[in-house]
Amino acid sequence: MVKEVFSSVASKYDVMNDAMSMGVHRLWKDEFVSLLKPGSTRVGKVTRCIDVAGGTGDIALRILDYAREKKADRDLVVDLVDINPEMLKEGQKRFRKTMYHGTPQVAFHVGNAQELGQERFPDNTYDIYTIAFGIRNCTDIPAVLREAHRVLKPGGVFACLEFSKVTQPALASMYESYSFSVIPLLGTIMAGDRASYQYLVESIRRFPSQEDFSRMISDAGFEVGEPEDGGAWRNLWGGISAIHTGVKVA
Amino acid sequence: MSNGDQLPDRTLDILFGPGEEARKTLIRAWLDEGINAMGPSNETAQMTVRDALHKRLEWNNPVLDKLPEAYALLATPSGILPPLGVKNIVEHPAKVAHRACRLANQNASGTSWYTQRAAIAAIYAAAELHQLTSPATATRFLDGLLEANDRASNAASDVLTFGNYIGRSWLAIARSKGLLP
Repeated sequence: MVKEVFSSVASKYDVMNDAMSMGVHRLWKDEFVSLLKPGSTRVGKVTRCIDVAGGTGDIALRILDYAREKKADRDLVVDLVDINPEMLKEGQKRFRKTMYHGTPQVAFHVGNAQELGQERFPDNTYDIYTIAFGIRNCTDIPAVLREAHRVLKPGGVFACLEFSKVTQPALASMYESYSFSVIPLLGTIMAGDRASYQYLVESIRRFPSQEDFSRMISDAGFEVGEPEDGGAWRNLWGGISAIHTGVKVA
Repeated sequence: MSNGDQLPDRTLDILFGPGEEARKTLIRAWLDEGINAMGPSNETAQMTVRDALHKRLEWNNPVLDKLPEAYALLATPSGILPPLGVKNIVEHPAKVAHRACRLANQNASGTSWYTQRAAIAAIYAAAELHQLTSPATATRFLDGLLEANDRASNAASDVLTFGNYIGRSWLAIARSKGLLP
């Protein structure tokens, strides 16, 4: 089901994200990447990043741009992984318009976040693991977290940007009615596909709360902050989305 | 971590908080260790509030010159509002007072639970401030304050007892005169 939904939405994914969050998802992604400070000012140091469920390359591109602009780092590499080849094709198309096309800085892989595969993604390889608006579509979230823990180096950072539970009750009810009426309607109008967008909205609702998810991250072996906003997670826009982080210590 | 490389900023930010938060986390951890260090060296030994507070002041000795900056940092707010981190300023002596009372098995109840801790917190805060300017006389200063507090609380309870006695005497007089049933 997940593959079909994303095959259907692939080409219009970013347009729909813009419509759904009124462009705000761009701000969230900017903040997500700024938090990570990818890149190193040390010339020659290679920071290895893996962006899972990276699809259209939003996060990967921001990571590369941040490293280049803020740290003058042209050695950072990003492995972009997605289960869906069509989403990857969209990503490759976008990257062809950038300076990273044809460089070793970005590589595209078809892969399953729950089982990346030891051969292509060995243990203790990456400095940064990112997954943005992808983990809620995985059926086995603990498996994704275990794989993330496996492929990260000690000291490596896990970061997840995902829709989450709105903590303010008044905002929560407004957001719920917006999600269940406006978003599938926009799906129908703009992409001719109500069912896929209905699925997306329901997947947001099913996703664990901020605290539960941070506990799952901690159970996978990551060191997380205090179980509060500003600690193990950071709420964005009242909890409409949240950034969860963790560090692999050993 | 392998090969002795320094941890990147992003890792430290996530573990300890971004920017100044990391330093605040360290200071808070040190303060928490100070609370633990107040305990008796011998499990069976009985402590008094005075002993516990003395131990806590001793904990400050190795880093006295750094303390003013540490407390100033804790008082710096994380956001725009409020303009001062009042919670952090008030929390430290309150925690010390609570721990001292627990160690000395001071089991007051009702409002005296609060008044006792408030008094000890204020005494400790004053003693610590004194320690920053005059470390040699800090313990004597603390003892003086604790004595004054004991005298004051004895005086207060004496006043209460005496007041009670006077009040009941007047009631008895009023009843004997037939003014009250």
